[in-house]
Amino acid sequence: MQSTSPTKVFRRRLSVGKLLLKYIGNIAMLVSAIAFALAAFVPYANADSLTQAKQMHDRLAGIPATQSTLLEMAALIDQGNSKQAAYIAMQSPDFYNVTLKNWVTPWTNEEADIFAPLNDYSATVIGIARDDIDFRQILIGDIIYSAQGVGGVPAYSMSNNAHYETLENSGLDLADVLTQSTQSALTGLPTQATAGVMTTRAAAKSFFKDGTNRAMLRFTLMNHLCTDLEPLKDTSLPPDRIRQDLSRSPGGDSRIFANSCAGCHNGMDPLAQAFAYYEYDYNVDSDPEGESGQITYNNEGETDPQTNSRVTAKHLINSNNFPFGYIITDDRWDNYWREGINQTLGWSEQLSGFGYGAKSMGEELANSEKFASCQVTKVFENVCLRQPQDTADRNAISNITASFVSSGYRIKEAFAETASYCAGE
Amino acid sequence: MYKNNTLILLISIFLISACGGGSDAQVQETPIPPTANQPDGTYNGPPAATADVQNFKLNVWDNLATQDKCAACHVQGQQAPMFARNDDINEAYSIANTLVNKNKVSDSLLITKVAGGHNCWLSSTSACSDIMTTWLEAWIDTDESATAINLEAPESRPVGANKNFPASPALFESNVYPLLAQYCSECHQSSASIPISPYIGSSDVTEAYLASISKMNLDTPADSRMVERVRDEFHNCWSDCASDAAALSTAITNMADAIEVTELDANLVASDALGLFDGTLASGGGRFESNLIAKWEFKTGFGNTAFDTSGVSPAIDLTLSGNYNWVGGWGIQLIDGKAQGATSTSKKLHDLIVSTGEFAIEAWIAPANVTQEGPARIISYSGGDDRRNFMLGQTLYNYNALVRNDNTDINGEPALNTADADEDLQAALQHVVLNYDGNGGRTIYVNGVQTGDEDAIEGSLLNSWDDSFAFVIGSEVSGRSRFAGTVRMVAIHNRVLSDEQVFSNFDAGIGQKFYLMFGVSEIVNVPSTYVVFEVSQFDSFSYLFTEPFMVSLEPNANLDGISLSGMRIGLNGREEKTGQVFATLNTSVNGANNNALGGKPLSAQGTIVPVQKGPQLDEFFLSFDVLGSEQSVRVDAPTPIPALPQDIAAQAEIGVRNFDEINASMATLTGVSVSNPEVQASFTQLRQQLPSVSKIDSFLTSNQMAITQLAIKYCDTLVEDNALRSAYFPDMDFGANANNGFDSIMKDAIIAPLNARMLGSGIDSQPGNTEVYNEISNLIDRLSACSNQNNCDADTTKTVVKASCAALLGSAVVILQ
Repeated sequence: MQSTSPTKVFRRRLSVGKLLLKYIGNIAMLVSAIAFALAAFVPYANADSLTQAKQMHDRLAGIPATQSTLLEMAALIDQGNSKQAAYIAMQSPDFYNVTLKNWVTPWTNEEADIFAPLNDYSATVIGIARDDIDFRQILIGDIIYSAQGVGGVPAYSMSNNAHYETLENSGLDLADVLTQSTQSALTGLPTQATAGVMTTRAAAKSFFKDGTNRAMLRFTLMNHLCTDLEPLKDTSLPPDRIRQDLSRSPGGDSRIFANSCAGCHNGMDPLAQAFAYYEYDYNVDSDPEGESGQITYNNEGETDPQTNSRVTAKHLINSNNFPFGYIITDDRWDNYWREGINQTLGWSEQLSGFGYGAKSMGEELANSEKFASCQVTKVFENVCLRQPQDTADRNAISNITASFVSSGYRIKEAFAETASYCAGE
Repeated sequence: MYKNNTLILLISIFLISACGGGSDAQVQETPIPPTANQPDGTYNGPPAATADVQNFKLNVWDNLATQDKCAACHVQGQQAPMFARNDDINEAYSIANTLVNKNKVSDSLLITKVAGGHNCWLSSTSACSDIMTTWLEAWIDTDESATAINLEAPESRPVGANKNFPASPALFESNVYPLLAQYCSECHQSSASIPISPYIGSSDVTEAYLASISKMNLDTPADSRMVERVRDEFHNCWSDCASDAAALSTAITNMADAIEVTELDANLVASDALGLFDGTLASGGGRFESNLIAKWEFKTGFGNTAFDTSGVSPAIDLTLSGNYNWVGGWGIQLIDGKAQGATSTSKKLHDLIVSTGEFAIEAWIAPANVTQEGPARIISYSGGDDRRNFMLGQTLYNYNALVRNDNTDINGEPALNTADADEDLQAALQHVVLNYDGNGGRTIYVNGVQTGDEDAIEGSLLNSWDDSFAFVIGSEVSGRSRFAGTVRMVAIHNRVLSDEQVFSNFDAGIGQKFYLMFGVSEIVNVPSTYVVFEVSQFDSFSYLFTEPFMVSLEPNANLDGISLSGMRIGLNGREEKTGQVFATLNTSVNGANNNALGGKPLSAQGTIVPVQKGPQLDEFFLSFDVLGSEQSVRVDAPTPIPALPQDIAAQAEIGVRNFDEINASMATLTGVSVSNPEVQASFTQLRQQLPSVSKIDSFLTSNQMAITQLAIKYCDTLVEDNALRSAYFPDMDFGANANNGFDSIMKDAIIAPLNARMLGSGIDSQPGNTEVYNEISNLIDRLSACSNQNNCDADTTKTVVKASCAALLGSAVVILQ
């Protein structure tokens, strides 16, 4: 914040604008270029109800409200019912088309690119939010949202994203057109092979393409447990499930494995084994980006020609890097992080900590305390436009997480409560 | 004949001891051979009586019966045993037979003598021993003896006493923690901006202590991981790495000094203890080396010479230079160095390979990274940066093979490269073979498997090879194009290796292997029972423990059904903190399963265990949660304490709308649909120039330019649309002539709707209504001041409205949230 008054800035920009006018003859350019300084960047600590209403609406819907909407919200705030005011803001289509879409889109690709197009991953999260479905289903459910039967929008396809891109470009109200269905019906994956957004085409294209499928776990952790692997590093856990492809002596120095690689892989590999039967199938020569690829799953009775089992070939690559490493034979996952320092992620005592396939592994993740607090933290950062920074914020997240969980993991509840907290005082 | 042989044998035995062969004899290394009576190296005696005699001559006698080796003494009329005599090969054969142990070649007197230093013709007795072994093994068919391993019971000894970490962090807190809290806490705690585990710098001392335990060595503090990290890896030293490491080491020493030596926890079910060299040597046999012409195993471990132990003369001994290290378990680590042979000895490769027209280069290497290129020269036989007979190189994830022939240039190009997509080269220990055959061209194998890369260049004879080049490992002869990595073995064969031979050589592995037999007889109540691991030194920093099995040396012992779970490897009296692959093992012995050694396999897996005091001193043992009917009593690990969160600097309470929010806001504030084709086109074009994040401190000038352009597009669309503008500006006469000026009524007609919609009313966070009115009013005045410089035309009125609209729409009034 410079000490220059807005008016002075205004005048200085004006003279620059005149020059522009002289050369390009666009008078509107002149005027608009000056105008950013009209409002001061002064944080307002004490806001009345109308101002609070504006902030809530701005943050939730992404757009300014009409005066009548603000008055309606302000009245509720004055009655001590700011959560209800937030729900009014969330009735705006732009809560779904803009706020939620941009909240979710970075989760759908490795680059965390917010400009990525709408896809089945982001549409499914938007649908789950709209319908107040238990948010844990994003890692568990046989669920998907699409807009079947909308004129001018091609049908959902297993092998391209045209359906969602057209939908996005059409500017249609997503909250209105998205309908819920099952992945098993729409994509043909067996029900037991569905695991919420992890088994959507978009997630598969981003995280099952090439590699060893460990990326699916890593990015799910980053996006839904708010932690990368580095903070989870715990070299004291048994490394017995680390696969053969991982060199035990990277560059000829086994200390790197023992002190770094093993600390993450000992927990990651036994969890990521849940993805043993998945692959993203695409033509590497004609379609190197995999735009026309699709998710595949080896159902019971189907075998990979290279492994002669349901395990996809990518799980047994580079097996000579360490022949004494673990060889995957099925999709049994085990959560080694239930021991050691990562117990603090708060694993559910109702679950056993092991299972077969992505669905039960997603259930393990989704029922952790960290999953719930992570969703609320993400909402907090999206609505408050900052990270939690002090005890008050942490207490707020803790309280909102508690009511998020007790509400049946309804994500709009978290948005509403957070918007109330960050509406200004 | 029999009598003669017996007599010779007796005389030989007598003379061995008389000729300085006794155990008390003084050994003189590398003596100058006597000058008199030197054989001339040409054999003119009676022909070999049998095929085996001929075999002996070709493989042994021709090599050692030279003036610089055994023929300096052990010839007829001189020192016995006269196995190097040159008057009768059959006699030499008979004598030599008494000096070899065909059941265990390594125990042959011919080998043990040179291994003990007896007149070794090189500076390394191990090199002489290896060469002698190669000659003898080539003579004697060792295929059977190589697999005939007899497990030998080690001497039983209990696990030694040691220092253990106390439960209380008090000693840690007073000695080590102050340094960690001061210098490591910026990253190594959970509340750091980018938290880096282990949290040894945690503000919670208990958490820091628990995280530090595996990083401290109480027996030898200087070997503590945290000390090594600073001292050897220069990891974020706070002043000078050496003194920082010394400070840490001193702190750990002070802590260790205050800790009493304790016995192994009596509640653990533990095996006997033993060291690496107490194990039964596992044969490194199974390698195919019939056409070996040069071989470097890097066993010496010191000095600057890597000996060619192929036994094929002349030996291409390599001189090490630059930055290199010898590594544990045999090998050299090239950091910025090379190993190069003389051109005179390197000529051996030329002579022996050109004559066959084919060859195989075989190597065990671990590239340091997958970023080096050039190609980085791993192995080369060259005369300059751009001329060579052959080369194996690295470019990122690929191996490059260059072989000069009639169809390539003098550099051996075009190269055969492994495919990018396959990423065959990894920064891991790999076995790589380059085969060249005049008919088939070049073929590359990695870890025993052919890579499948086809050679586009037709093979030919190798008559174009230059015999004046030098053999070099790790760089070009000039020192350029360095390869960084570890080289553990290189072998050159003058025939190609078949698929089976490549795999066999890969399967044989690298380095010295032992069967470590951990006694568990008293636990399982079966005599002479052991849990056995195959153990080798994996690299300088770790041991490799693989494929455990249970065996009893007692005939007819019954191990069937013995249950075993939670097996951990202990080192120097403590269970090792890391690498406990078998901690999850839960099995029972299947008496029907037998491995090649008669053992009952427990697991096919392996693990690495860190070297602590070195292979000579480290002592291993095994512990078991359950073994047979015995069970360890373990105390549950303390429940981890969640790290205390830390406050961060206060952040802005406001932000800017992002690209989509701006677009949607402008649409809702102007009434123009986001789907309007013109607006949509502008938005698509400007999308990535608009703000992508809400952080106010990330806002850039370029963002504002994009906002401006989009605002203009929306306002232009609004004003150009009759229906929209009429609804928006109901009191505005868009046909008014700008030359008449804008009076207050007209200004109201423009500004009031804009203010009402964009500013709202009664909102404290928005600028004042009057202030905005005045600014826009002034703007309108300036824009409508028609003059020679600003010709007002029929569109000027609309332009003024557009400008007024865009001034607000593109301003912080709308953009801030």
